[in-house]
Amino acid sequence: MSAHLSIIQFSTNDRTYWKGNMSKLYEPSLPKLMEAIATEAKGMRGMDRRNFLKGGIAAVAGLSSVQIIPKANASANLPPNLPEWQRQLGPGVVAKPYGDPSEFEDLQRRTVPWLTVDAASSISMTPLQDLDGIITPSGVVFERYHGGIPNVNPDQHRLIIHGLVERPLVLTMDDLRRFPSVSQIRFIECPANGGMEWRGAQMEALQFTHGMLACCEWTGVKLSTLLEEVGVKPEGKWILAEGADAAGMSRSIPLKKALDDTIIAWGQNGEALRPEQGYPLRMLNPGWEGNTSVKWLRRLEIGDKPWHHREETSKYTDLMPDGRSRRFTWVMETNSVITSPCPENPLKQPGFLEIRGLAWSGRGRIKAVDVSLDGGVNWQRTELGELVIPKALTQFSLKTQWNGQPWLLQSRAIDETGYVQPTLKQLRDERGGWSIYHKNSIHTWNVSETGDVYNVQIS
Amino acid sequence: MFKSLRVSVVVVTLALSGIVSAGPLGIGSTATPEMIAGWDIDIRPDGVGLPPGQGSVAEGEPLYEAKCASCHGLFGEGEGRWPVLAGGEGTLDTLHPEKTVGSYWPFASTLWDYIYRAMPYTAPQSLSKEEVYSIAAYVLYLNDIVEEDFVSNQETFAQVKMPNEANFFIDNRPDVQNERCFQSCADPSTFEIVTTINGVTPTGHFKEDSGVAANHYEGNPSAASSSEIRVEKSVTKVALSKEALLGRGVYDKACQTCHNSGIAGAPKLGDVSGWVDRIGQGMDTLNDHAINGYQGADGVMPAKGGNMALSDDDVVNAVAYMVESSR
Repeated sequence: MSAHLSIIQFSTNDRTYWKGNMSKLYEPSLPKLMEAIATEAKGMRGMDRRNFLKGGIAAVAGLSSVQIIPKANASANLPPNLPEWQRQLGPGVVAKPYGDPSEFEDLQRRTVPWLTVDAASSISMTPLQDLDGIITPSGVVFERYHGGIPNVNPDQHRLIIHGLVERPLVLTMDDLRRFPSVSQIRFIECPANGGMEWRGAQMEALQFTHGMLACCEWTGVKLSTLLEEVGVKPEGKWILAEGADAAGMSRSIPLKKALDDTIIAWGQNGEALRPEQGYPLRMLNPGWEGNTSVKWLRRLEIGDKPWHHREETSKYTDLMPDGRSRRFTWVMETNSVITSPCPENPLKQPGFLEIRGLAWSGRGRIKAVDVSLDGGVNWQRTELGELVIPKALTQFSLKTQWNGQPWLLQSRAIDETGYVQPTLKQLRDERGGWSIYHKNSIHTWNVSETGDVYNVQIS
Repeated sequence: MFKSLRVSVVVVTLALSGIVSAGPLGIGSTATPEMIAGWDIDIRPDGVGLPPGQGSVAEGEPLYEAKCASCHGLFGEGEGRWPVLAGGEGTLDTLHPEKTVGSYWPFASTLWDYIYRAMPYTAPQSLSKEEVYSIAAYVLYLNDIVEEDFVSNQETFAQVKMPNEANFFIDNRPDVQNERCFQSCADPSTFEIVTTINGVTPTGHFKEDSGVAANHYEGNPSAASSSEIRVEKSVTKVALSKEALLGRGVYDKACQTCHNSGIAGAPKLGDVSGWVDRIGQGMDTLNDHAINGYQGADGVMPAKGGNMALSDDDVVNAVAYMVESSR
């Protein structure tokens, strides 16, 4: 019976634990082990069964190689031994003309399968728990599609600017790159980030509570430059931005924002936009709902009124408890979260600890971040990272000691306008539990005595 | 061809240069009225953008049933978890608000605009303007917003008033004000700690050696999480015919939305028991239903899955792929 249980625990992805038990229980008999795995797998179905078998058999293979070639043991690569990778040549230049992360890394966007009905109109989240610094690698920037990713040929892509303008223009990608350009580090966040948590703690992972968030260096032309080129007529007050995707994504942007800091971007983190992020051209409205930053941008129409399209009426409006709804809730308000520790990154040992996290504000720079260890009773100031850029992710950290005491860990950001990140209670008292979007409240991680970290809410 | 195109562009530019002065940097080409007309599809609440044409509730009903009902339900009630289009009146201030076209949407123009630009989901911008007028009229009728005899056109559609229009207001945030307090900011004796519901979080990514007791997260898988996890089909192991291999690409683009999830009674790819009786009817019948559409007791198959841009051969190939992968 105990042998049986040890295998079940393996199937829950805790490989090390299982192997430890394995060597005790099964060491002499490999066939017996295989038989046990097969028996166990009989009771499973689908993915569970496949994952179980894959993992189980791989572990058996590992076990047998340990017995046959002692030097494959992990300690063989540790001091004072010379590691195997130092005793042979590695691949040379351009073995991979476009490089990948190390095979030992497991950096992945992930989705919550039950959230949406179809992958082409869905969302995946950035693995914030595995990232350092403020830049999100392009390959793991969260995705949000309403009609899948269009495969746009840049030579055949055009941006048309028309409507209330003196000179309606059609621009090729080559044309766009001739304009004076800017490169700016800005965050982009889906307003539904955290939306699953309005009515209670639900997601036991940082990736799912806060992962609809990314921060990249974007390169492009300021929209104000393009608007000078077409000459906006005096009655022009709004801009319709429209994508070339199957959803024809469209949002109404007030001219004031367009003249302030909107970018029409073709570059992301030093290379062309990824297809997932709007290749070859997207709008970027810094600090605003990610949805307004229309991807695969094909058209800008200048008009005198907003269009009230689906993504600014049916969706991306915020239902209040009295049945009325906010519209045009563009700004992403000040927010922050502790990224280490978090449910995916529990504390493994007592002693010195640097608590790390990210803060951001759609209204400008982060001025300060405070951390509480006791659920918001007492707070202490943290140190901000070196780069404090408006409308960009900003690092904060607190050096402390953890000696096995349970914590209710929180962070609270303050931006340069003086806005203080609110508590969940404050937001719920004002907005109820059904507004879906714009949940920027102080988040709580419960660090247990064992170092495990859980998502909790304090009410 | 290339040369003559170049020449015509130059001619157009010269012809317009007398009227339109260049911008400050002189970059780009004039967007001609023809170019703009092809792309300018947006509609506004005041009716700006509505094209000539018309369609009635009566004309909308069969169109809706053929092209929309497979996802949105025959009465707009929504199949599976696809959007509900009708009903929900009086629910917005309750604990179970249901946001539909009738109960929530502030403007009818949004309906026209969205149907034209993005529907049907698998074949956007495939509907004619008359079809959009008709289907939009029918969806309004399903919501009791227009009468049975309503005919929508540029004039009448712009006059439709939606019941929830007055209940939207402009963003008035910041709406809450927190203080930057440092000492004794809350009373811990009043704390109630709410934990997560076990089993709703996918936890496959937790680090293998993180020390997290995995059973903590997998204690009690809820119906939602366990039933929605898509089970991969090992279709690649099946030896596929040439037609089926061609059909696979068609399937991924046009069919998988329904046939992966089983929406509207669609037999799922790889579901042997769901396909066996259908296959028994013979390929001719299956192909006929797939190309021309079919409505039976079990569900609705829109003609070509709603994507009329597909050729008959595309559809036949996709059927071959599904059949060969499901027996």
